[in-house]
Amino acid sequence: MTSARIEAATARESGTSTGLWVRRHANEVGLVGAILVLYVVLAPLAPNFLSSANQFNILRDAAFVGIIAWGMTLVLIAGEIDISVGANAAFSGVVLAMMIRNGVPIVLACILVILLGTAIGLGAGALRALFDIPSFIVTLALWLGLRGLAEVMSSAVPVVIPDISFQNLGGGNVGGVPNPAIFMVILLAIFIFISRRTVFGRSVYAVGGNAEAAKLSGIPVPLIRMGVFAITGCLASFAGVLFASRLGSGNSEAASGLEFDVIAAVVVGGTSLFGGRGSMIGTLLGVLFIAALGNGLVLMGVDPFMQNVVRGIVILVAVFVNIVSTKRLARAR
Amino acid sequence: MTAPSAPLIELSNATKRYPGVLALDDVDFRMAVGEVRALLGKNGAGKSTLIKVLGGTERLNEGALRVAGKEVDFRSPKDAIAHGIGTVHQELASVPAMSVAENISLGRWKTRPVTGIAWKEVSTDAEAALAHVGVELPLDAPLSTLSLAQAQLVEIARALSLGAKLLILDEPTSSLAVHEVDLLLQVVKRLSERGIGVIYISHRMDEIERLASSVTVMRDGRIVGELSAGEATPQRVVSLMVGSVDPGDPVEAIPTDAGDVALSVAGLTIPHRVLDATFEVREGEVVGLAGLLGSGRTEILRAIVGAQHGATGTISLGGKPLRRRSIRSTRAAGIFLTPEDRRAEGAVVMLGVDENLVMGNWKKVATAGVIRRERMRETVTATIKKLSIKVPRIDVEISTLSGGNQQKVVIGKALNTEPRVLLMDEPTRGVDVEAKAQIYTLIRRLAASGIGILVVSSETEELLQVCDRILVLRSGRIHENLPIRDVTRDALFEHMIRKETDD
Repeated sequence: MTSARIEAATARESGTSTGLWVRRHANEVGLVGAILVLYVVLAPLAPNFLSSANQFNILRDAAFVGIIAWGMTLVLIAGEIDISVGANAAFSGVVLAMMIRNGVPIVLACILVILLGTAIGLGAGALRALFDIPSFIVTLALWLGLRGLAEVMSSAVPVVIPDISFQNLGGGNVGGVPNPAIFMVILLAIFIFISRRTVFGRSVYAVGGNAEAAKLSGIPVPLIRMGVFAITGCLASFAGVLFASRLGSGNSEAASGLEFDVIAAVVVGGTSLFGGRGSMIGTLLGVLFIAALGNGLVLMGVDPFMQNVVRGIVILVAVFVNIVSTKRLARAR
Repeated sequence: MTAPSAPLIELSNATKRYPGVLALDDVDFRMAVGEVRALLGKNGAGKSTLIKVLGGTERLNEGALRVAGKEVDFRSPKDAIAHGIGTVHQELASVPAMSVAENISLGRWKTRPVTGIAWKEVSTDAEAALAHVGVELPLDAPLSTLSLAQAQLVEIARALSLGAKLLILDEPTSSLAVHEVDLLLQVVKRLSERGIGVIYISHRMDEIERLASSVTVMRDGRIVGELSAGEATPQRVVSLMVGSVDPGDPVEAIPTDAGDVALSVAGLTIPHRVLDATFEVREGEVVGLAGLLGSGRTEILRAIVGAQHGATGTISLGGKPLRRRSIRSTRAAGIFLTPEDRRAEGAVVMLGVDENLVMGNWKKVATAGVIRRERMRETVTATIKKLSIKVPRIDVEISTLSGGNQQKVVIGKALNTEPRVLLMDEPTRGVDVEAKAQIYTLIRRLAASGIGILVVSSETEELLQVCDRILVLRSGRIHENLPIRDVTRDALFEHMIRKETDD
């Protein structure tokens, strides 16, 4: 019986190298297909959808989601969730603008804000890791608190950043490629490396896949959990800095709902909400899919409320497919 | 058969097959009204299958089940309950946050139109059910505030309130503290006096002697003995359970005038589980820790690596007491545990063999936190070769491997931490015969290389085959320290199940 099982397993793993590659990356291949379908459908329906200017728009939209999504992928792989990222980004923008207005040099202000955002994430992670408060609750509280704090600090009015040149950081481009997209790609490379090649990254998978086994193996489970929240905190505040730069002001209402776009993109990208499974490339495709879908719906002139309906359905279908396939895999073994 | 003497339940020519295994092989089994039957057998003897069939979670391939003379076919636990058969599993099926009363009528709460659940009736019903069991418990208290024994009584009360005539108790005392056992035994006694039949799975001879009117022993899917309480001496029970299977020769009886003391445990106490355990393991020695389920064997291993809450006592490695006891610090000192449940604690099944192998010691393959692929491949390939793990690729998901190969990966992970002492909890659970033999040889080889090894196993044959010395754990205390040449299989089993008064 056992040898038969091994043979079956071997058979599953063998086959042509292309076939093997496709099977092991079924999720990514499927997403590329979904994006192609989306482009084929949107190209004739949405005016100017394929123009290079619009493609760069899609990239810019994708960037704000993508930058945070890399960290969110690790959070979900670790079996956690962080819904505070949008509020953290808005809060960071407001703090940044107020610092600059009070004479703090821009570069220093940016660094301080990102450190603050990282510390906030680390604190949330500590509450989860050391006191077992569910990460959903911790970050829900942060989501409320940070947005509220930003509103109090700015009286809910945009805090204008006087230095016009600062707007280049988030609003400029290099040869037509928006700066945020460049940051997104650089960070993607870093996070692919972290997730595949570092002890920290692989420990995230181990903790999310089986926290008990990780603990008994001597992996510092609490530190890993704190680490992933520190990362989303850091990335959220960085995205907040880019937002503030692009808008030329710190806005307490900025990035509203961003957390849901980010989580949706990660989940559409095939990362398991139960932890242990997921990839940065999958998330990249999820981010592009969500950005292109949103952009296309706008260009088609779909009613904004209806857009939300469509996005909701798409996210639901993606999660459905993800969970059904996970179960099927579990049964196959 | 005449009506008055119709048995409570009767199983005839019952056969149950799983792929490759005959779990029940033409079994005849019957229970009379009010009878307390002890059901014994080693792991895999068919006890679980038998109670699953009676409890409605498994269906027979062949044979018939009759309840009070009428043939029945249970398709779900619900059917079994409807016919008066209630099972209390080792894993309790209660809602910890709900009150005792709510748990007793779980899902069957009486309701009234408009006002909803009739709390008064829920309470009165619960009170009646508990009175039937013969205990008093605070009805409003959340179940989580009760002891495990009390929670068990709540489940018994629920089964009775559902009209159980036959109660199946699956190793009910295995996770109870010593002083809680009495309470449960009294309850069982009282129930049988009221005509309720009880099937009682346990291996503790003192409990069986106090309770059971008869004893059924299973082996290899068959019933190999039905004894009256008087006939069931430990010697008889053991020889029936063990049979005349050749235990196999000890694996290469490597001489054990082995080295210095590697691990020494002094006064290890875990509240309600283990009392004052003191022993040592020498370099190159394989020591077995034998004991029934619930004897505290797993807890001792977990306490040594710092994974057991509330444990006190001194653990020394190479004569030096460990000051801090956390999993990370004991691993760094050179103690590593391979846990009993591979899927839940041993391996991360979504990850590859390669990463599972190095997970306990990333330093071996990484510089400054960055994994060096070349070193990873070398380390992993070397480990795979050393343990002859069969894999199509080194990064294949561990879940696609056979149980034996998975277990070897878990052992490989331990070896990559370069341990001086290896603690192995059920090293061959769920592993086929061939892989078992390989793992035994491996254990001896590791010992020969100077590692001190402590093995916990519920299979006495296994301990007899690989160990140099066996410690016998009973009710949380280490009672015997037996050099392997002085112990036979039957004697070892007798030590494990012996009553305290025999000492």
